[in-house]
Amino acid sequence: MFSRTVRKGSLQFGSLVVALGLVPAIASAQFHPKDTEWFSYAADVAGTRYRPLDQINASNFSDLEIAWRIKTDNFGDRPEYKLEGTPLMVNGVLYATAGSRRAMIALDPETGELFWIHGEHEGKRGGAAPRQLSGRGLAYWSDGKEERIFYVTPGFRLICLDSKTGMRVPSFGENGVVDLKLNDDQEIFPDLETGEIGIQSAPVVAKDTVIVGAAFREGMTPRSMRNNKGYVRGFDVHTGKRLWIFHTIPKKGEFGYDTWEKGSGEYTGNTGVWTQITVDEQLGLVYLPVESPTSDFYGGHRPGNNLFGETLVCVDLKTGERKWHFQLVHHPLWDMDISSAPVLADITVDGKPVKAVAQPTKQGFLYVFDRITGKPIWPMPERPVEVGNVPGEWYSRTQPIPTKPGAYSRNGVSIDDLIDFTPALRERGKEIASKYHLGPVFTPPTVSKLEGPLGTLTMGTASGGTNWPGGSYDPETHTVYVYACNSCIEPIGLVPAPKEVSDINYISGTAGRDVQILRGPGENAGADSPKLPKKRPPSQYVRLDIDGLPLVKPPYGTITAINLDKGEIVWQIAHGETPDVVRNSELLKGMNIPRTGQETYNIGTLVTKTLVIAGEGQVTTTADHPRGAMLRAYDKATGKEVGAVYMSAPQSGSPMTYMVHGKQYIVVAVSGGPYSGEYIAYTLPSAGE
Amino acid sequence: MRRALFLSGLAAAILSSLCVLRAQAQAETRSVWDGVYTEEQAKRGETVYRKECAACHGDMLTGGESAPALTGGAFQANWNGLTLGDLFDRVRKTMPQSAPGRLTRQQDADVLAFMLSVNKFPTGKTELYRQSEMLKEIRFETKKPSAKN
Repeated sequence: MFSRTVRKGSLQFGSLVVALGLVPAIASAQFHPKDTEWFSYAADVAGTRYRPLDQINASNFSDLEIAWRIKTDNFGDRPEYKLEGTPLMVNGVLYATAGSRRAMIALDPETGELFWIHGEHEGKRGGAAPRQLSGRGLAYWSDGKEERIFYVTPGFRLICLDSKTGMRVPSFGENGVVDLKLNDDQEIFPDLETGEIGIQSAPVVAKDTVIVGAAFREGMTPRSMRNNKGYVRGFDVHTGKRLWIFHTIPKKGEFGYDTWEKGSGEYTGNTGVWTQITVDEQLGLVYLPVESPTSDFYGGHRPGNNLFGETLVCVDLKTGERKWHFQLVHHPLWDMDISSAPVLADITVDGKPVKAVAQPTKQGFLYVFDRITGKPIWPMPERPVEVGNVPGEWYSRTQPIPTKPGAYSRNGVSIDDLIDFTPALRERGKEIASKYHLGPVFTPPTVSKLEGPLGTLTMGTASGGTNWPGGSYDPETHTVYVYACNSCIEPIGLVPAPKEVSDINYISGTAGRDVQILRGPGENAGADSPKLPKKRPPSQYVRLDIDGLPLVKPPYGTITAINLDKGEIVWQIAHGETPDVVRNSELLKGMNIPRTGQETYNIGTLVTKTLVIAGEGQVTTTADHPRGAMLRAYDKATGKEVGAVYMSAPQSGSPMTYMVHGKQYIVVAVSGGPYSGEYIAYTLPSAGE
Repeated sequence: MRRALFLSGLAAAILSSLCVLRAQAQAETRSVWDGVYTEEQAKRGETVYRKECAACHGDMLTGGESAPALTGGAFQANWNGLTLGDLFDRVRKTMPQSAPGRLTRQQDADVLAFMLSVNKFPTGKTELYRQSEMLKEIRFETKKPSAKN
């Protein structure tokens, strides 16, 4: 047991490693991941979240009991209430990110006993990071002899650890570290310590390359049209040497530069890949889901289609060279970041085998392409969309609309979507909606006016549909299972930005209300905060609920099964117990309301040999259980619920599964509200109990 | 004499314990529906909230991409059955996220009062306590007790 401190340049970082037990030695001479292991963030690098295990099945799911649990409070200097990680389990060891310092921990997968912990003390650089807390996970690499763990700190440093000891591998980068703010084909502004760039997702390892994207603060109210750019890089797993970089905003002379008119590609930033990256190791192709450019809802300073904003880009694993791309949203204006891992699927369409990639989205479309050529499997014609009238804005007159599969969650707002438990409630819903501009998918934002509209009422935008947890894929039945928020309403109104707040013409806001600069998790709220304008007379605030009831009708959250051979929805269910506020509403007394599902946007699914498994994202208190949430299992063929087990807090990180010594386990991260982060492992009672 | 003193002391102790028990029994019946903060305190809390909390939790407590809502069904379900002390502790220990504990107890209590007002719990004549131990005597109940309708 020991600690050490490393000095590097003008920055000082400290790392702490505490080894508590023996990590099993690698068993085989060559690394071949097994079906019983979970060796990458999404089970594999194909983004499937699938393991063909069946010990836990419909007949016994409700018998699950807690094998072990570990609170993450002490893996950082304060508890964390937003634990989003999915652990890995490889070669008899469970690895996870944990706590407010984003520590790395190695555990016994059968008992939860701590083998080692590694933490990086990054000082001000960590404190100023745009994406803090424990992040979503890590990556594992082995050549059959050595085993390494990779993760990115909040301060944007790629760390390589020896998986047996939790110690940095000195031969990687500089003493086990690659500073990701350097060697990025751009100067990170304003300096290395406070420069806005980071990431919360897990790096991905494919063959001998570790790939890392980039994330920024939330982009609704940026302080400037200028920002750092979110390039994607591949590094050698042995040395940390940069192998390639992909410019998500093309540089002058590169393909796509002309889609940034008036030279706007020079200063526009963001456009990173903040979510999980997917790789086809056999084809040697990497699939990059790219987010929105600066800023989310106003693009007047970046005229043009803005490649590769909100574009699925396929690059070569060895060189980073672009192979194909498909822009899902031209000139992004709705915060439709491509928010989750692309899913690789070998399917059969019209009798022919196709290597496909399927992309779940916030806008509720599952975009399916031939993953070698980038050609859509089913037509995605360019359809005319509404052109707005925000001064200075540049509009794309068309957007690609998939013809198959049909949208699996709501991506617009119409009167028919509004609450309809009773005619009176529908009328109250209409009254609220009348203050906004309504329309189908790709209805543009409006300037917010006191006399109306206050903005465009949207669904399937910022937090709609499928967000970072993404979908699951069953390679046996060629079916994608995907959770979606079906009621996450986002009013998008724009207000002129006061000069002292931002140099952008318009930022997100509501007429008559103070302009608020939105901040990301843990973003420094101190010296750099801009001065806000003096308070103006408040407008009548419009609540988007009716005495607590959601403005739109159920289902509020869904899980959908989509067959990729046919491009058709097989089943769709409401996921999650009816919220207390609906079940106990005086307005609905005496009515029999079927299960509504819940309005949450961060639910990930797990698919096994027979089940689709997902926890609830909201706490409920019912006659059947005390305050808590349920981890539910559905028959993957029909969507019928076959079992449920109690969790003391909502699912906040996606579940995973593995088998050790003949026993299957399911691990899920829970946290939220009063409950700090905890990983809980479930298993079946031992025989004879 | 000594015995009498002892007995009277014992009686006083029992009486005092009974009073404490009674006070506790009364305290245990208090909930957020009993007017546990003042309008003035909520106004002070709003000022603090706008400066310290709104950037992440939103202009009207409806949350953001990375910070939960502090009003509405999901928020209320999270805290239903717990106490204001639990909620106060959560704020004290972890907020504002960039510098937990930077606000004073008074400021945190004021913000809590503002949160109660946005969640439409009734105002009263006394301000919220500033200590979590005392706030633990006030239950967070989302449903208005029927006896007080």
